[in-house]
Amino acid sequence: MKRNKGMIILFLAPAVLMFSVIFLYPIIRTIVMSFFKIDGITDPVAKWQFTGLANFIRLANTSLFRISMWNLFRIWLIGGMIVMSLALLFAVIITSGIRFKSFFRAVIYLPNIVSAVALATMWLQYVYSPKFGLLKTVFTNMGLTSLAKIQWLDNDHKFAALLLAYCFGMVGYHMLIFASGIERISSDYFEAATLDGANRFNQFRYITLPLLKGVFKTNITMWSVTSVGFFVWSQLFSTVTADTQTITPMVYMYMQIFGAGNSITERNSGLGAAIGVLLSVCVVAVFWLCNHLLRDDDLEF
Amino acid sequence: MRKKVTALVLTSAMAVSLAACGGGNSTATTAAPAADAPAADTPAPDSPAAEPSGDGLVYWSMWEATEPQGQAIQAAVDQFTADTGISVDLQFKGRTGIREGLQPALDAGTNIDLFDEDIDRVNTTWGQYLMDLEELAKAADYEATANAGLMAACREVGGGTLKSIPYQPNVFAFFYNQAIFDEAGVTAVPTTWAELDAVCAKIKDAGYTPITCDDAYITCMFGYHMSRLVGEPKTEEIVKGGQWDDPSVAATAEAYADFASKGYFSETIASNVWPAGQNQELAMGTAAMYLNGSWLPNEVKDMAGDDFVWGCFSYPALEGGTDGVDAANYGAQVLAINKDSQKAEDAFKLICYITQGEFDKMLSELSIGIPADSNNTEWPALISCVKPVMDSMNTRYPWAAGAEANADMTPIIKENFLKLCGGSIDAQGFVDALKKAGN
Amino acid sequence: MAKTKKYREPINWKKELRLAPGYFILLVWISFTFVLLGWVLLASFSTTKEIFSNKLLSSGIHFENYVKAWVNSDVAGIFRNSLIYSIISCTLLILICAPAAYVLARFVFPGNKLIQTGFVSAMGVPVVMIVLPLFGIVANMGILNHAMSNAVLLIFLYIGINVPYTTIFLMTFFGNLSRAFEEAAAIDGCPPTKTFWLIMLPMAQPGIITVTIFNFINIWNEYFISLIFANSDKLRPIAVGLYSMINSMKYTGDWAGMFAAVVIVFLPTFILYIFLSEKIIAGVTGGGVKG
Repeated sequence: MKRNKGMIILFLAPAVLMFSVIFLYPIIRTIVMSFFKIDGITDPVAKWQFTGLANFIRLANTSLFRISMWNLFRIWLIGGMIVMSLALLFAVIITSGIRFKSFFRAVIYLPNIVSAVALATMWLQYVYSPKFGLLKTVFTNMGLTSLAKIQWLDNDHKFAALLLAYCFGMVGYHMLIFASGIERISSDYFEAATLDGANRFNQFRYITLPLLKGVFKTNITMWSVTSVGFFVWSQLFSTVTADTQTITPMVYMYMQIFGAGNSITERNSGLGAAIGVLLSVCVVAVFWLCNHLLRDDDLEF
Repeated sequence: MRKKVTALVLTSAMAVSLAACGGGNSTATTAAPAADAPAADTPAPDSPAAEPSGDGLVYWSMWEATEPQGQAIQAAVDQFTADTGISVDLQFKGRTGIREGLQPALDAGTNIDLFDEDIDRVNTTWGQYLMDLEELAKAADYEATANAGLMAACREVGGGTLKSIPYQPNVFAFFYNQAIFDEAGVTAVPTTWAELDAVCAKIKDAGYTPITCDDAYITCMFGYHMSRLVGEPKTEEIVKGGQWDDPSVAATAEAYADFASKGYFSETIASNVWPAGQNQELAMGTAAMYLNGSWLPNEVKDMAGDDFVWGCFSYPALEGGTDGVDAANYGAQVLAINKDSQKAEDAFKLICYITQGEFDKMLSELSIGIPADSNNTEWPALISCVKPVMDSMNTRYPWAAGAEANADMTPIIKENFLKLCGGSIDAQGFVDALKKAGN
Repeated sequence: MAKTKKYREPINWKKELRLAPGYFILLVWISFTFVLLGWVLLASFSTTKEIFSNKLLSSGIHFENYVKAWVNSDVAGIFRNSLIYSIISCTLLILICAPAAYVLARFVFPGNKLIQTGFVSAMGVPVVMIVLPLFGIVANMGILNHAMSNAVLLIFLYIGINVPYTTIFLMTFFGNLSRAFEEAAAIDGCPPTKTFWLIMLPMAQPGIITVTIFNFINIWNEYFISLIFANSDKLRPIAVGLYSMINSMKYTGDWAGMFAAVVIVFLPTFILYIFLSEKIIAGVTGGGVKG
């Protein structure tokens, strides 16, 4: 053991140093920053003014920020339900012994590896186009004129449009995780169940689902972590100024700190830091909830 | 960066110790390439863009290289470099790129000598980064050929001193399709709200959409109407202070609700995501009017075609309102010099290249824009209609006539005004929504 | 991923029929994917007027859209940047993370659990939490002023952001390797450091390849960090470059060119995916804890 001490330190040092510089130090500093009023992002600590919870209170009182949090929550909840159910459905089909399994799997996962900018542009400029859009064409050909007339990018539908496009890209990833979870369930269970006369639905309900608890936890955790960083899609779906239907906390932060709005706003980096802290609290809360609601002995990776 | 160096030292140390161990083990051969790679890669980070940006000027532009403005500026810069031998690192950032990227870059102390954007954005949003140009302008006798009105505007927004040089002047007003006006029998442009109402009715009867807009510009209609009613400073006060109870807000909402109920707005107005309205409705000839900047004819020229005849009129005056048709958001794109620039004189020289004489003319011709140099008297035909409007201006509004003065409210005003024009909420609903959002 | 030799199963119609609803659902989904991609591809060869009138390709193939997109936006440069960033970052990531992962997986020492917990939690930290202080530091150091230091900084950030994930991934991988190899090496008198580089690292090759492919895609598509920290046009990676290309085409009303730009950016990842999809998928399921 003693002989290894040098090696342990040498081997760990680069990774731990990177971790400290990129994560540890910035996180601590951000938490501290959130309690200060900081004019410029580059200001030295001496120029910071301690304001206690003022940043948080101000955020809570800003309706645009509240809207952005609400949007994020909707994306997380509604999007989460859509993605999880589709992913689970596809995972079950994929593992049910169909032909061309790897082809199907590869195509469903494909959107996940495409640059979000490219994918969002395809949806925005093609699928939802009121002139030559895919949805319009399909609905027109099916004779559903009322559906064909929907303006997908107007205020009432913009959020749904954004969510749908985003979910389309995310389903593949979660499907893979579900599928690998299902494949790990021993086939003995199913054989025994079949002998006992349980039909496929009951097998799914009483064997697959309970055994997938851990996988669910992984999926929900991953979904939460990615949702919190919701940014590119939102930016692409709102052209010039921010949009009430698509704004998320990250976009709000970016707008405030890096001044992307159309007019001068009071600049306060502490506000941006407070947004970061709030989002982190949300992630922690989801972790905690997952761990309590889906109590499971081993965390599935 | 020290950490990185440490990491590299560590890895190379490991590589060395590895070599010492010798290839006694047959499985080792597969490891070798993976372990060797870093040694070869160590000096690699110099690969992207090795060009030093140390000497010469750095110029961040709001245009895209593909746009006519970009091409004209590129030509001016090339000539400048050829004449003076000063290299220029010209970066076309695009609207979004410069809006979102310039401020962090300046905060970070990035070496940027000059940049351009809209007059208000440069002078207010980025005001703290600007160099005072009075001395430089005097030394170059710049104002001999400059547009006096615009220079005055620059001084006004610069807090009394010249911090930016205008080019590509523009005015924000109603632009219309003359062919539709002719077909509908409209002979004179409207100067009052009632006249606009009548014009819209005629156009609608002729089978066209009277007015269209896009999400990006919708707040301008709100701002203009408010400012016509109570003046721009008051509008800004209302927007910033959240005084949505002010009767002018309800009056504005009612005027638009009235137009919406008469079917004067495009059916798709609530869902037009820029540039859908300007490209697909106005340029394609299905809609007649659009409240936009004088850059519009250029932006849509490929879609509109050469035979498109443009007309222009200032936002109509309102009964009992404070401002008349001589007030508008007119201004220019401006060039400004970073206060930390070490090469201000060179930068100013480049500004002269772009905004005067030959290249100002070229810019105006290529981009169908208004020339900035008062010696370039000829305006491109497509926008000759703007000249009387431009010449009639006395009062200057900032962007959107103050409607976007509160960044926290802009998206909310935008959303609800779109709904108002689309007819899904009424005037009271509009006021209530703003009140609910508070601020 | 047990690689049993594939054999053609004779078609069992009864079974296939039972699976029919499954086939149907999957087919609907993937045909949508194909229509989406296919239309964009066709549109990229049409003219803007054709796109708006929904008559793709009616005047033949317009390859000039690609020429325009390529020439006007220095796509080659953007590609080169992304390639350099990804390759260097991925290599260094392995060199930094593999030793750490090995030590964490194999040795018991004070702080081991703490480091692991730290790394796992870091995966859940929103980028907003770390961007502001980093930007402040970087700005004060004047790093963004020189293309060279700026590029190094970007690579440094790409690496740093991916360190926790890569380490944890490789840790599970090393944890599954048998200890017998190290014991044998120890008996032969090979010191642990050498044992790692010569024996354990090569044995972890499958894991290294998977995690590298994953890191590669992540870094290749990275947007937020690049948006804030890649200041100069010359340093832009793919995602940010494409964003600006798309905007540029929108201003000039060139929809065909815009779709061409999208295809140009999409194609390399797609081709890579065709060849590597099995590996990539194995990466997600084999230990993926990353979005």
